[in-house]
Amino acid sequence: MAKKNDSLNRRGFLKGAAAGAAAGAVSVVTPATVTPATPAETQVGGNAAPVVPAPTQQQLARETGAVRPPANVRAVERPGSDLMVQVLKDMGLEYVAANPGSSFEGLQESFINYGNPPNKTPEFITALHEESAVTMAHGYGKAEGKPMIALLHGTIGVQHAAMSIYQAYHDRSPVLMIAGRDEGFIAAHTAHDMAAMVRSYTKWDAQPKTLAESLTALQRAYNEAVTPPTGPTLVVLDTELQKEEARELKVPAYRPPQITGIDSTRAREIAKGLLDAQNPRIAVGRLRTPQGVKSAVELAELVGASTSTTATNGPMSFPQRHPLCGPGASTSYDYTLGLETPGAQVSLIGPGLATLLSRDSANIGFGGITPAAGGRGGRGGAPAANANPPIQVDAETSLPAIIDEVKRQITADKRRGIEERKAKHAEANQKAFVEALTQAVQARRNGWDSSPVATARIYAELWPLIKNEDWCLASPSGFSGGHNVQLWEHNKPYSCLGGQGAGGMGYGAPASVGAALAAKSRNRMVINVQTDGDLNYAPGVLWTAVHHKLPMLTVMHNNRAWHQELMFVEYMCGVRGRGTDRGHIGTSLREPFIDYSKMAAGYGMASEGPITDPTKLAAALKRGVDSVKRGEPYLIDVITQPR
Amino acid sequence: MVSKTFFIVAIVALVAVNQAAQRGGGGNGNTQAPTSPVTGSSVSGKALYYSYSCYACHGYNGETGRAFVGNWSSNLASEDSFIRFLRGRANVAPLTPSTSMPNFAENTMSDKQAKDIYAYIRTFKAAQPEVKNIPLLNQIVEDASKPSENKVRGATRPVK
Repeated sequence: MAKKNDSLNRRGFLKGAAAGAAAGAVSVVTPATVTPATPAETQVGGNAAPVVPAPTQQQLARETGAVRPPANVRAVERPGSDLMVQVLKDMGLEYVAANPGSSFEGLQESFINYGNPPNKTPEFITALHEESAVTMAHGYGKAEGKPMIALLHGTIGVQHAAMSIYQAYHDRSPVLMIAGRDEGFIAAHTAHDMAAMVRSYTKWDAQPKTLAESLTALQRAYNEAVTPPTGPTLVVLDTELQKEEARELKVPAYRPPQITGIDSTRAREIAKGLLDAQNPRIAVGRLRTPQGVKSAVELAELVGASTSTTATNGPMSFPQRHPLCGPGASTSYDYTLGLETPGAQVSLIGPGLATLLSRDSANIGFGGITPAAGGRGGRGGAPAANANPPIQVDAETSLPAIIDEVKRQITADKRRGIEERKAKHAEANQKAFVEALTQAVQARRNGWDSSPVATARIYAELWPLIKNEDWCLASPSGFSGGHNVQLWEHNKPYSCLGGQGAGGMGYGAPASVGAALAAKSRNRMVINVQTDGDLNYAPGVLWTAVHHKLPMLTVMHNNRAWHQELMFVEYMCGVRGRGTDRGHIGTSLREPFIDYSKMAAGYGMASEGPITDPTKLAAALKRGVDSVKRGEPYLIDVITQPR
Repeated sequence: MVSKTFFIVAIVALVAVNQAAQRGGGGNGNTQAPTSPVTGSSVSGKALYYSYSCYACHGYNGETGRAFVGNWSSNLASEDSFIRFLRGRANVAPLTPSTSMPNFAENTMSDKQAKDIYAYIRTFKAAQPEVKNIPLLNQIVEDASKPSENKVRGATRPVK
């Protein structure tokens, strides 16, 4: 590693020299611009905020491209960033999303040029906002159960990303973030402890001091992200480490994390419980990866258990239309196993966010934050009053041991009984589903011919167009009525990616782009039923979808308002006795209306609308699906009923 | 920002509106047609329905969201019951309305305005077809009625 000098490091000198040469003048880089200020220099008065030196003209010139970049004044044969990228390749990371920043220019150059072929695994994805980059990774992580990378530029990039990091943390989505740090450049863009500002909602972070430490930090960051509780992790990489000569340094071999599963005694007991029961039940919550879903199906089929699922509201749960999924032939269950959800007898629930509070304080600092006590709508809900305390162990990791025990204990007699039970369950579950659907369509016809378009009709018209495709509903559906829950069949680990995580807006489109990145190489399409208020946070992701030819259909739920807030404010006006006729102020998106078809067109996306006539919806949706199947994302602006 | 908590509160509130409406002051059951003459102006009522953001919860034509068309609450049985429902406790205790729907005191909505809104609401007709006349919904149910074994084909295939 290049040794840093307190007064003027090589990086700062070279940048200054380059700037000066380009400007045709002698460069003078004063120590004040590159040296961390002392407390005495940065404090004005007892409680004043530290004063950060303003960027110099040379620095601003460098930032605005008015000078020749310094890269060509340095020559290294084996840059450290090549090794960093090799580490990421070894772990199978598919994508890295970023908008550019000078603090990771060395790393970016390696991403796009290192390897054969270059710019593959990971492929560089151009984002237009750090918040978008991280939410893309958030959506990708939920779809695949593994991380992609988001690159962040210094303090400003980390802060731009902060909201997305917060949501990914609450949603337990594995995300690997890398922040560039350039100590010798603009002081406002750097910090001694870059991760501090997001540490309370980042699972793990590191700011390595050497290239060798950087490589192992990236490996650990990946492992921490995918180990329960899964979540976003951050590695801060100094620009010097990215650019230094690696010489003979070897890339360390990657070792996947060892996630703790159930012990053999417990596995034996659970297998016995499931096999001895006359009517076992498996309640399946959100597992970590598609492999966990596969294991859950295998176990249910082995023991003939009816199952419940969360697949209509989130990823990685039991296939909704599997013959065993439903109430079963009888709801008098005599043994219930919960997988990442509370159960009557035994529940296997991996460590939650609260466990992060006791993490390594030396490395993590003041610890993570968890949802406040007493809040409603928290993940997983409270266990039933009569439930046994859950076993704190990752369910997915535990399943193979339980399956092995079932296979060992099962007898021919039991096998016959199980097959009979499975047939009864299949018949009962099919009947139950059709009955529920028959009731559901009665309600979904409300406003069928209304103009503007009823949200139920959007979901109903979409279903026949996608049901035979491999699809993923990546956007939250709660605001648009959640009609997929009853009208669609969620049979894949990624069929429904669920809500925002922390309820923050600006999530739907970027998360869908991330899911579409996962979908692109898997012959899958992504559906994004997009609320209008949400899209306006960072619509630039539409350009990213076009630029990278992502299979994403966006259907606007355009009610021309932040509608939930409109209702809240209206309510408040009413109860205070002041009338509701000004409730639209600050809550509606009118005068002028926003034309989302034109917005999409501006980003180069094929689009149409606004559609207000429900009879024109089906044909538009078909055009959209056909476009996406050709590899071209599409947006349809639909003016909708408020809810 | 909109939190999930707020969203849930809203749902609970909307459910409460309906429940309160069902036990509200009309006392005439779930009537389908007005039980007394409609005297307001539906033209004026249309403007008020939008300006007071009634549409926000009840849809542009009363068929979506907290729908009431085709399932007319007793609170909508007559002008009097409608006004009584709107007022709730608004005139005496506006901060503790009688339902989760905002109550409207006389100083924020006159009786005439309320009657106009009522007149407009009463022009709404249940326009949605019967399910049997919506081929798409029938097709969805018919498809779902097929054996489910094939529906999860590939659901557990290894994912790259």
